[in-house]
Amino acid sequence: MKVGFFIGCNTAFNRPDLEKAFRFVFDALGIEIDDLEGQSCCPSWGTMPSVDEAGWCALGARNFIISEEKNVDMVTVCGSCYGSLSESKYKMEKKPELREKVNEMLKAIGKEYKGTTRIRLATNFLYNEVGIEKIKNSLKYTLEGVTIGVQPGCHSLWPSEVYQEGEKDPFHPVMLRELCEALGASAPYYSRIVDCCGMGGMRSTNVEASYKLVKTKLDSMKDEIKADLLVTGCSSCLIQFDTAQAPMKRENKINYEIPSVHYVQLLALCLGADPQQVVGLSTTDLSGILGKLKKIN
Amino acid sequence: MAEVIEVLNISEGEPGFSDEIMKLGAEELLDCIQCAKCAAACPMVLAGFEFFNKRIIQSILIGQKEILLDDSSIWACQACNRCTEVCPRKVEPFGVVMAMRRSAIREFALPTLAVEGLKSLYDVGHAVYFSNAGEIRKKIGLPEKPPTTASNEQALKELRILMNKSALSSLGIIPMDSGLSDVTCCEV
Repeated sequence: MKVGFFIGCNTAFNRPDLEKAFRFVFDALGIEIDDLEGQSCCPSWGTMPSVDEAGWCALGARNFIISEEKNVDMVTVCGSCYGSLSESKYKMEKKPELREKVNEMLKAIGKEYKGTTRIRLATNFLYNEVGIEKIKNSLKYTLEGVTIGVQPGCHSLWPSEVYQEGEKDPFHPVMLRELCEALGASAPYYSRIVDCCGMGGMRSTNVEASYKLVKTKLDSMKDEIKADLLVTGCSSCLIQFDTAQAPMKRENKINYEIPSVHYVQLLALCLGADPQQVVGLSTTDLSGILGKLKKIN
Repeated sequence: MAEVIEVLNISEGEPGFSDEIMKLGAEELLDCIQCAKCAAACPMVLAGFEFFNKRIIQSILIGQKEILLDDSSIWACQACNRCTEVCPRKVEPFGVVMAMRRSAIREFALPTLAVEGLKSLYDVGHAVYFSNAGEIRKKIGLPEKPPTTASNEQALKELRILMNKSALSSLGIIPMDSGLSDVTCCEV
């Protein structure tokens, strides 16, 4: 099996330990990675999608074309990239005139968008393509006794019409919970499970408002299921929960901390990766969780 | 947060505003019946923003362009698309918010961070870019630069040509290389 790795800005420049974790996990599971040489930003919501529909889709299409030339699907750990690319593809499928306009623009760089490949979210790919059983059989460490609060992330859920391999009921997601349970941990339902993390445009516009969402979510996770660990399916959610808690503690908005990782990082740890390399840039304290990794004999 | 807006004189609304928003990508705008299902699902409501999907649509329908341009709420939309999922009239409220951003950009009413994101996208092909990330990448065993437009001049040139062909080129929001506007495939 071979996939194209769509890296995304935040993973490459903000949390390259997550990039390292992705490479480690896919290698350990025997999946070949193509680097999709020359890929760019998806483009993110605050840029071309906010300027012009055709410009948005043209930049998205250029990324898709790289994967089309390699004949591989793209896989990303970033919900925002997954959302922007999925939606640009969907729009070009639904509106032939838009696709024509994009292909007219692409002529200037000698390329044509065909729509033969997909963008896939890493957690969905692991769930559907690798499967829970293979993940379980590949583990070197388990996480028994750890309670996880999952954060699937908005862009893995809605609009369900656009995400062809999403949840059966996007308001009651189960895939990330089952993926965490495959590692030996428990990952119960809690009432704010589908709430937004407040990253992205909201955090850039009003950080205090954004922290309100963080607090609502963390309180729900702590009070209802006593989560030891927060696990995201999205790199943007990861950055929000990993960096917002220290300032919120200083400002007395919370008096606790829930360590936070991306699922791909947690899986990398359970597959035997060096913590320095795959979670080394974490701001929240992961030492307690690392201490609970139990070697399988 | 500001006080609730005083009584509006809707006959003073900007004529043609709905048409403009529809042309900018919100084709189903007029199907909205203001039922507020989108608002019930919106994280911006939970976080306390004054203008969110339902109220943005309402303001557009009564032509209150200035009110929306004076408020930064549209830039706080998370693009989460809960609203699109639940809308019973298939209005795609998120699409309306994006169309409103496109209108605001054409009036130069955009936040500094959005300008910086666009500039960074044009300069290196990444909206988020930290030039000092190379050291950290090396330390954890990755190449200093990722295999993207950040390390591939040809790919970056392609991306810039596409941006030059987009609506962005005529807006004058960021400096762009005018020499790339008429490039065809053979010169890339």
